Amino acid sequence: MILSVASGKGGTGKTTVAVNLALSVGFCQFMDYDVEAPNAAFFLKPDIKHIQKVEMKHPYFLKEVCNACGKCAEFCNFNAVAVAGDEVIFFPELCHGCGGCLLVCPEGAVREKDVEIGKIKKGFSKPGINFYMGDLKPGYMRTISVQAALDKFIEKDILIIIDCPPGTSCPMVFSVKDSDYCILVTEPTPYGLNDLLISIEVLKDMGIPYGVIINRDGIGNDEVENYCRKNNIKILLKIPNDMEVAKYYSRGESMLDYDISWKGKFENILKEIKKDVRK
Amino acid sequence: MKQITIISGKGGTGKTTIASNFIKLARDHIAVDSDVDAANLHILLDPKIKETKDFIGGAVAEVSDECTNCGECENLCRFEAISNSSSDIKIDPIRCEGCGVCEYVCPVDAIKLESNNQGYYYTSESSFCTLVHAKLNPGAENSGLLVTRVRNVAEDIANNQNKKAIIIDGAPGIGCPVISSLNGVDYAMIVTEPTLSGIGDFIKVFEVTKFFNIKTFACVNKYDINLNNTEKIYDFCLKNDIELIGKIPYDDKVSICLSNRKFIIDEPSSEAGKEIKKIWEKVKEYLYPN
Repeated sequence: MILSVASGKGGTGKTTVAVNLALSVGFCQFMDYDVEAPNAAFFLKPDIKHIQKVEMKHPYFLKEVCNACGKCAEFCNFNAVAVAGDEVIFFPELCHGCGGCLLVCPEGAVREKDVEIGKIKKGFSKPGINFYMGDLKPGYMRTISVQAALDKFIEKDILIIIDCPPGTSCPMVFSVKDSDYCILVTEPTPYGLNDLLISIEVLKDMGIPYGVIINRDGIGNDEVENYCRKNNIKILLKIPNDMEVAKYYSRGESMLDYDISWKGKFENILKEIKKDVRK
Repeated sequence: MKQITIISGKGGTGKTTIASNFIKLARDHIAVDSDVDAANLHILLDPKIKETKDFIGGAVAEVSDECTNCGECENLCRFEAISNSSSDIKIDPIRCEGCGVCEYVCPVDAIKLESNNQGYYYTSESSFCTLVHAKLNPGAENSGLLVTRVRNVAEDIANNQNKKAIIIDGAPGIGCPVISSLNGVDYAMIVTEPTLSGIGDFIKVFEVTKFFNIKTFACVNKYDINLNNTEKIYDFCLKNDIELIGKIPYDDKVSICLSNRKFIIDEPSSEAGKEIKKIWEKVKEYLYPN
């Protein structure tokens, strides 16, 4: 089963929920898909054994062969190639690495080289967690490429927990696309509710079953809870706002470290979810 | 005219809270919400929409019945968006990046790139200033392109009306929307928190502002939840020539104010509100030089 943890709004507690669920269950594969800001490792403290580069292809242009005809610039849908005078200018941060410029060049003036855009790190966390994370290199916009590299490591017939990036655009969609169930973590504030509604729309469109965890319960107001009740959305858990929990979090410690009774609560969530999974 | 973008790396550190209070304190300015897939600035600013425009984002490939399943497109697609070309070709819209390679190589012209509406962007008026913001359709692509659109509109208005500053509320992370929100701005302010995650993401997002050579300020929110970590952030700032522009204490009143749609700076007893005002005084020096 693939279980993703997403949120819409950032900082609501996705990583907290994903990590504590993994630690409570004990045996699973954990995937940090928030490759722009991967944080699960601070809590799971994996023993990283393998680091592998994620690369993409960037074009370069042979000046002596290129006659500045401009076909490459005309083809590129990402404005990564421009022709000024008799020279081709390349904007690496806009390039998606599709290889189109190479394909359309009538002179054979385009070559490609590998460029590192991030890393995949693999390791093991106690008690029995196979840990994987993607780490996008700052300055590059290839979030999806790093996530696609992570996809290759998803195993079958084991519980997979995916820690998703915030937002509701392509990186979030890419992270949840194969999920059997998605947990949406929110906070009881107008910001939390606004972004929860957008996330729900995405999951409905994709046909992925979901439930809600309200984190920092007690702050803000009860708009989120009222919305869920009115729309028959399952509230899987409420995590009370607690300064002590925040302090544990700040040091990279789990909720189980703080209070072991959370283990049972997270195990129950999993039982609850199994009733509703896709397929 | 000067522009500042407020970013954080990690989500939920307080970007929008700080941005909306700055927007209330500022003058001669335009506000921009560049967190286009989870926009929140409008919640406090409560603007009236004056103009709505369609956002036609990047295209996605679509295949027609003329396909002969020759497999050329599948071989050349770098994004693994095309499968089964030997029997019944399928294009996965989630993986497709709209590069057009498949359309180009198809020998029977069975593939076309189709551009669709991927959201809207708005020019609105709030009690404090013009706000340019957007709503990306749920699950849509090209958030970076939409951020660029929104910023172009804001810059045009600012130039026409001789405004002095643009205040941009950024997105979390370090990807497309963040890079588009930083492109060409004068200042970046990173809002972080003294947690291991906050620090890790702060360092990553600082790599981005350094990459683009943008003068960077840092502000530590909820600094008192872990003083050791706050100290570590200070050290990092000192070593990397980042101006530490303020530290905001943990304050329950922040979320109470938000739920009542009120600004924390208007709450006289709020320590966080007082600190945000102090930070604004420093930021103001940069945004409005003489």
